[in-house]
Amino acid sequence: MRRLPVYILVQTSGAMRGEPIEAIKVGLETMVSSLRQDPFALESVHLSVITFNRYPEQILPLTELENMQIPAIAQPTAAGTHLGEALEFMCKKIDSEVVLSTPERKGDWMPLLFVMCDGRASDSQLFQQIIPVVKQKHFGSIVACLVGHNPRKENVEQFAGSVVNMDTADSSTIRSFFKWVSASVSVGNRSVGAADEIILPPPPPEVHTIV
Amino acid sequence: MAKIIKIKAIDGSDVEFYDEVKASGGMKDVYFSPTKQYVVAFFRDAKLNNPQNKDRLETICNSYKERIFNQVGGSYWQNLLAWPDKVVQHGGLIGIVVPFYPSNFFFAKGSINNDFLGIRGKEKNGKWFVSAKNQNRHLDPQERGDWFKYFQILINISRAIRRLHAAGLAHSDLSCNNVLVDPCTSGSGLIIDIDGLVVPGKYPPEVIGTPDFIAPEVLATKHLPMVLNNAINPARKLPCIQTDRHALAVLAYMYLLYRHPLRGKKIHDADPVKDEDLSMGANALFIEHPTDKSNRVKVNDLQPSQLPQGDPQKIPYTVCGPYLKKLFDRAFIDGLHNPASRPSAQDWEDALLKTVDLMQPCQNPKCWHKWFVFDNTAKPKCPFCGAEYKGQLPVLNLYSSRRAGSFTPDDYRLMVYHNQYLYPWHVNRNISPNEKLTAEQKKPVGYFVFHGNKWLLVNQRLNDLEDKTEGERIPLNQAVEIADGKKILLSKEKGGRLIIVQLVANV
Repeated sequence: MRRLPVYILVQTSGAMRGEPIEAIKVGLETMVSSLRQDPFALESVHLSVITFNRYPEQILPLTELENMQIPAIAQPTAAGTHLGEALEFMCKKIDSEVVLSTPERKGDWMPLLFVMCDGRASDSQLFQQIIPVVKQKHFGSIVACLVGHNPRKENVEQFAGSVVNMDTADSSTIRSFFKWVSASVSVGNRSVGAADEIILPPPPPEVHTIV
Repeated sequence: MAKIIKIKAIDGSDVEFYDEVKASGGMKDVYFSPTKQYVVAFFRDAKLNNPQNKDRLETICNSYKERIFNQVGGSYWQNLLAWPDKVVQHGGLIGIVVPFYPSNFFFAKGSINNDFLGIRGKEKNGKWFVSAKNQNRHLDPQERGDWFKYFQILINISRAIRRLHAAGLAHSDLSCNNVLVDPCTSGSGLIIDIDGLVVPGKYPPEVIGTPDFIAPEVLATKHLPMVLNNAINPARKLPCIQTDRHALAVLAYMYLLYRHPLRGKKIHDADPVKDEDLSMGANALFIEHPTDKSNRVKVNDLQPSQLPQGDPQKIPYTVCGPYLKKLFDRAFIDGLHNPASRPSAQDWEDALLKTVDLMQPCQNPKCWHKWFVFDNTAKPKCPFCGAEYKGQLPVLNLYSSRRAGSFTPDDYRLMVYHNQYLYPWHVNRNISPNEKLTAEQKKPVGYFVFHGNKWLLVNQRLNDLEDKTEGERIPLNQAVEIADGKKILLSKEKGGRLIIVQLVANV
């Protein structure tokens, strides 16, 4: 039975303090509960949550939906947004958690990655080094969601297949983003168009797809 | 509360819906009407709001609908096919209005632990029921139903597909997403998303299907261009009646066995996406193929929650009985890569109906399948819980007369259990249990009971019932004993049947 690994990276540095981080917590809960109502997702989806500020931390190792409890995310205080280090950390987790196909055994589906951040990388040197490594991981898709004040898209554009920008990081916008994420995770089991392209559900109206 | 949008359908009638997406499928977003009598589903892709698609949808809502529903007995199909009523256009998109589904297709209990998944009130998507993991770990026992109900569901689905195909229409996207089922109360099934209907030679399909249910030839040619030299590319295989037949066979296998017939251990490519395409497409191979064992299920690859159903060694497809085994062989061995050999919906309906007559209730009260198909042995036992049948088990072999004075076997057996009814289609070869039955033909004509240590057939409405062994007429409201070797005539009419009893004793 192939698993569909879904990695969620959440920035928890000072820039996210207040409503954004609260909304992300609620959004994650909403996403898990709506995926639990999808019988296809229940069979295959495994979720991992990694937070990062100056240091990355995997607050939820890759876990199947039914056994999942979203751990508490602390109110951010630390400065520093080490996006490069977070991506490097995540790549290591993928190496240890995701099962690759071998001639004897079927591996997992290609993982999906959703990154929620303001697009800054304080560790720009490491960030530049890690991008080719991220690209080698063969993600099914990578979506970056920009939140916070004056988000920068230049960095995330280098590794994300699509970038969405939230005008306002209020709770309803973020919740609709997570609804879209769960719909995107479920989409593989739906009818496939004759044109052979999976049509993602439209992003919620407040979110602008940049790429 | 979202605001209500009021529009006119293309036929001029009023349509209202809340401006809030309530559900999303692969192609459409669904909105609810305030009265909850219908839903409005808009195709997300604005490109589909074109004259050709509009014409196609209008034809489905008008002439095709009439062809099926405005016939004698047409209302029968309302319970099996959720047919779209009208076409709407709004905000640059095209959509359809579909009747709201009956309440038994929504979860009343939902999942275990006081519905920890929060699915109460949601649609009973077939995927909940075909997945061993969802059955074993998630669904409330009251939602799961027993094995008999899944046969009833499949009879309904096959019948509905048979009707579509008889009208020359292909569903084109048959999958457990597009069939709602009710195994807990009625054993009914409802085919939804009928907007993708394909009419051979008239409109090309908009979808190729849903993963797991797409026919191998469609998947294997999906990379080819649709149009070549201004005509449909003949090498590109698209959904049609024959691909519906593949999907129907997969549905039957999954509803009865809770696993996918082609998902085994064989690796075709290191890339999971390519591997998936090959294992369901060009290289598809039945996991229970009698000679090519390379795609067997490796039990170690399964999650514990998928057992025991996921292991074909423990529960092989032969538990579905001889009639269905033949059809699975035709669908997944002969016809997997040879569409013309696949069994038709009619074949499935007939085989399922005959199999239902081979079913026995399991005597183990804790067995959750509750029913099994008689395995033609002298020591019958339930393949699911292993409980052996104790006591006398009557097997009735049905014969019918094709010329006066001689009876020939019908390849049809009826297993008897306590309080089982006998119906007109058992009594006469020319009556089949389908939508054409009259109200009178749906009523039982007798019943079987185990009484005073004897098996009896009680005559309710059989005028000709006769114990041929003893040479005695059995009047109404009298009983005849079912003893080994006995010959009992059920009817003297044309096509009337004779029973020869076999008694399996297992004490």
